[in-house]
Amino acid sequence: MSHPELFCPEFALLLGALLSFACAAIGTKARTAWLVSLAAAIITVGTSALALPYQGHPFATDIYAVDSFSQVLKLGISLALAFAIAISQRQDSTRASARTEVHFFFYLSALGMMMLVSATELLTLYIALELSAYGLYILAALHRRERLGSEAAAKYILFGAAASAISLYGISLIYGAAQTTYIPAIAASGGSPLLIAGVVLTLAGVLYKLAAFPVHSWAPDTYQGAPHEASTFLATASKVAAVGLLLRVLSMAGGNTEHLRTMLIVVAILSMSVGNLSALFQKDFKRLLGFSAVAHAGYLLLGLLSFSKLGAAAAIFYVLTYVPIVVCAFLVVAAVSHNGANPSIASLAGLYKRSPFLGLVLLVAMFGLAGIPPTPGLAGKWFLFSAVIDAGHLWLVLVAAVNATISLYYYLLVVKAAYLDPPGEYPDIKLSPTYSITAFVSVALVVFMGFYPAPIWSMASSAAAVLF
Amino acid sequence: MTGASALLPALLALPLIGAILVMLLPKEEPGLARGVSLGVSIATLALSLVILGLYDTKIASMQMVFDKEWIPGLGARFKLGIDGISIFMVLLTTFLMPIILLSSYKAVTSKVREFCALLLILEVGMLGAFLALDLFLFYVFWEIMLIPMYLLIGIWGGQKRIYASIKFVIYTMAGSLLMLVAIFYLYAQYGSVTGEYTLELSLLNRLVLPRDVQMYCFAAFALAFAIKVPLFPLHTWLPDAHVQAPTAGSVVLAGVLLKFGIYGFLRFAMPLFPYGAAELAPYMAYLAAAGIVYGAFVAFAQSDVKKLVAYSSVSHLGFCMIGIFAMNTQGIEGSIYAMISHGLTTSGLFLAIGVVYERRHTREMSEYGGIWKQMPVFAGLFLICMLGSVGLPGLSGFVGEFLTIFGMFISGGTAGEPSFWAEFMPHPMLLGAVATSGVIFGAIYLLYMFQKMMFGPLDNPKNKELKDVSWREIAVFTPLVIGIFAMGLFPKPFLQTMDPTVDQFVTRFEAKLAEPDGPAHIMGQAAVAPTPEPAQVEPHAGHNHAPGEAAH
Repeated sequence: MSHPELFCPEFALLLGALLSFACAAIGTKARTAWLVSLAAAIITVGTSALALPYQGHPFATDIYAVDSFSQVLKLGISLALAFAIAISQRQDSTRASARTEVHFFFYLSALGMMMLVSATELLTLYIALELSAYGLYILAALHRRERLGSEAAAKYILFGAAASAISLYGISLIYGAAQTTYIPAIAASGGSPLLIAGVVLTLAGVLYKLAAFPVHSWAPDTYQGAPHEASTFLATASKVAAVGLLLRVLSMAGGNTEHLRTMLIVVAILSMSVGNLSALFQKDFKRLLGFSAVAHAGYLLLGLLSFSKLGAAAAIFYVLTYVPIVVCAFLVVAAVSHNGANPSIASLAGLYKRSPFLGLVLLVAMFGLAGIPPTPGLAGKWFLFSAVIDAGHLWLVLVAAVNATISLYYYLLVVKAAYLDPPGEYPDIKLSPTYSITAFVSVALVVFMGFYPAPIWSMASSAAAVLF
Repeated sequence: MTGASALLPALLALPLIGAILVMLLPKEEPGLARGVSLGVSIATLALSLVILGLYDTKIASMQMVFDKEWIPGLGARFKLGIDGISIFMVLLTTFLMPIILLSSYKAVTSKVREFCALLLILEVGMLGAFLALDLFLFYVFWEIMLIPMYLLIGIWGGQKRIYASIKFVIYTMAGSLLMLVAIFYLYAQYGSVTGEYTLELSLLNRLVLPRDVQMYCFAAFALAFAIKVPLFPLHTWLPDAHVQAPTAGSVVLAGVLLKFGIYGFLRFAMPLFPYGAAELAPYMAYLAAAGIVYGAFVAFAQSDVKKLVAYSSVSHLGFCMIGIFAMNTQGIEGSIYAMISHGLTTSGLFLAIGVVYERRHTREMSEYGGIWKQMPVFAGLFLICMLGSVGLPGLSGFVGEFLTIFGMFISGGTAGEPSFWAEFMPHPMLLGAVATSGVIFGAIYLLYMFQKMMFGPLDNPKNKELKDVSWREIAVFTPLVIGIFAMGLFPKPFLQTMDPTVDQFVTRFEAKLAEPDGPAHIMGQAAVAPTPEPAQVEPHAGHNHAPGEAAH
């Protein structure tokens, strides 16, 4: 390792992993373990922010690239991790016996994701993919209601294993076609049909991570059945990593993007439509967020299928702003949840009377997802749409805009429950200081990015510049 | 003009700061929230009057322009400006806001703090949308307005408020969809023609699209704005929203929000796509004329007085549409005049309905009758607003309706000099005649309403205990009544202020309309002489100038 300092966000994660493992091994109280891992998560965010300008190759060969692309996404992953751990303060949806150990898996998975966005070699990439998945497999199973947790985890693992196997097959085809496992070299090898077939198969595993059609059906079940903090992590960090991974995988096609683009257009349209139309009928709030995540995977694909710098930047911008918005939504889930049960939309009734601040947090989350100002949701969609237009698909913008309007309906139903329905028998909610601070930080981030998206955009476009 | 350019952002900042301030006040003191928000809205009014004072009525183009880079990656700028059209819209907004706040002292007793803050945020959104000179900025403000309006109807509204509020939002959003797509198309075209991407209106206005494309784009914009107007047959959201909204919500809706439809045509749809506007003008005008008559007939059939006034808006805004599609100074000025007048008179009518509703909790006209004897002062105020709405000469409604109809009659030009518009508007006389009949119908249903509620025997015992208006309520109506008289008796200063801008609007429209058909080009640089940079830029060359570049 020639430049260890380039590796510092990963070191911070490793430190967190070791500390939380130590807590588990000693058998400290869940509360102590949580405090330790929260501290480590905040350190990770700081380190990732400091490491933003870093560039180079930490290893002798270029299997691992540290550049503004990887560093921006690492910052997103570490933020998602810190938010998820902050939300896990109230672990009442997690199985009691696992409350001390649980943080170790967050760190492990986040480490996998960070490696994923830096990996520029197929085997490294595959190992990172698996590392990020294993932690999540376990996290998904830890719901205190064992049946719910087992179902969530079973779906996630079975889908994951199948998608991963298909990906591996794709990787073997790519190797067969290009005779190398280095991504830049593959990209330069000129996109033979076999290579494109390999990329398409590899995409299976990647689209699974993004929760895009047709490998999306785990998302609603797993979001619903996993503990709240695990769902948060799954919904945010996993999405960020998936965008990074997708961009890398797609870059292997070289210039030969015609068929890939057609395929991605179909996937994007189906993801948006299936996600939004299914979300219309949900009663469980977490399940609704799961379907909404499928729809957002579709929006993200709009940026990726443009195969342009603008499109890549738009997707990165979108996913970075998506993190605090989704955190707001899951924070409400965790705060409203009683004894770890999943809140239904009906149970959000009168939320803004039961806790005015939490009502506002929910409002910001829903408007952010729907793309209404002053949240960055609108600017994000504009960037994506202008990338699509730039690529010459005006009609696709129309499809996406129709979808955005459909989605508005179910987001409004949630707002309606919180603001217009009377609270009835539901009790008032008192936020813990941690939750208040977390909510404040995430809302402030959302509103700031909404009013002034320029800094995030310049980060996203410098990240995209690495690939195009 | 460096000092004056800070005035417009200050106009937006004032109510925004007010809203934040109101939310920070203690919950237990609703009176304080009312006082602070009223003070803030009056300060905003004062500031808008300062802007009016500094406004140079001889200049046609944008004044006090505030221009700052905002989202460089998108080419969006934070650009505000005011001209002879928007200044009246801004004044109408700031003028109505204190009245609205004052009028809801009794009607709104729960969650007062939130109510006041939402109204102030709504004011920010409305003012911002009137001042925005950048399409993205406009879109942001346009959407910001939705949230407070949704909550105002949804929280403080009537029985079916949730249905009405969601219908309102979905209609508006769905309507803006195609507009959004058209904006993106325009954005991409401008980018491929000039090599730089922008959403700034004054730059986009210079782009001439091929004529068939202009039709599609205009239609897309027109859908969004026609829903807002609301143009028949896209009006069905309006009665629901009006009837379910609290009085304050109805006043904002009728007084200001509907004006965004007409304003959007004038500011965006027509200057951007003049050929599309010209080709589709007859259809828009037919629909407007149909709306004038239809709105009047349906209004006449209502038993719920609030629904009656809601449908009267459909009829009145039809005149405004007729006016702008007359495409001459008279018609457009009449349309703007009618908008302001409608803002005053219809607000007055909704406030009057609010006054009796607060006392009797019913809006059925049959429940009332003979109120005149019980509430003489109220009856006088109500009468003035009603007659202003009817369009009695000497009151505000007359000038606007007269000018719009007159404008339509002469839209083909006079015998000596035929207008360029003659070839696009086939039956101006017919349209003018139908619109004129609407004036008569308007008198019928409004007088019928007034007669049914205020005259006749006072035979309902519940009405015998009605108290006349309080001083607060008189204070609410006074500015409106003064405004109605002032606009009716002294139209000249108003019209003089609009003159330069409206003249320029028509001249520019004509000039851009005369641009030759062909591939998209910048005005005056038509593809007749092949330019060194051809309009068909290769996709790869386009990427070199992709919007993201600007971020570096």
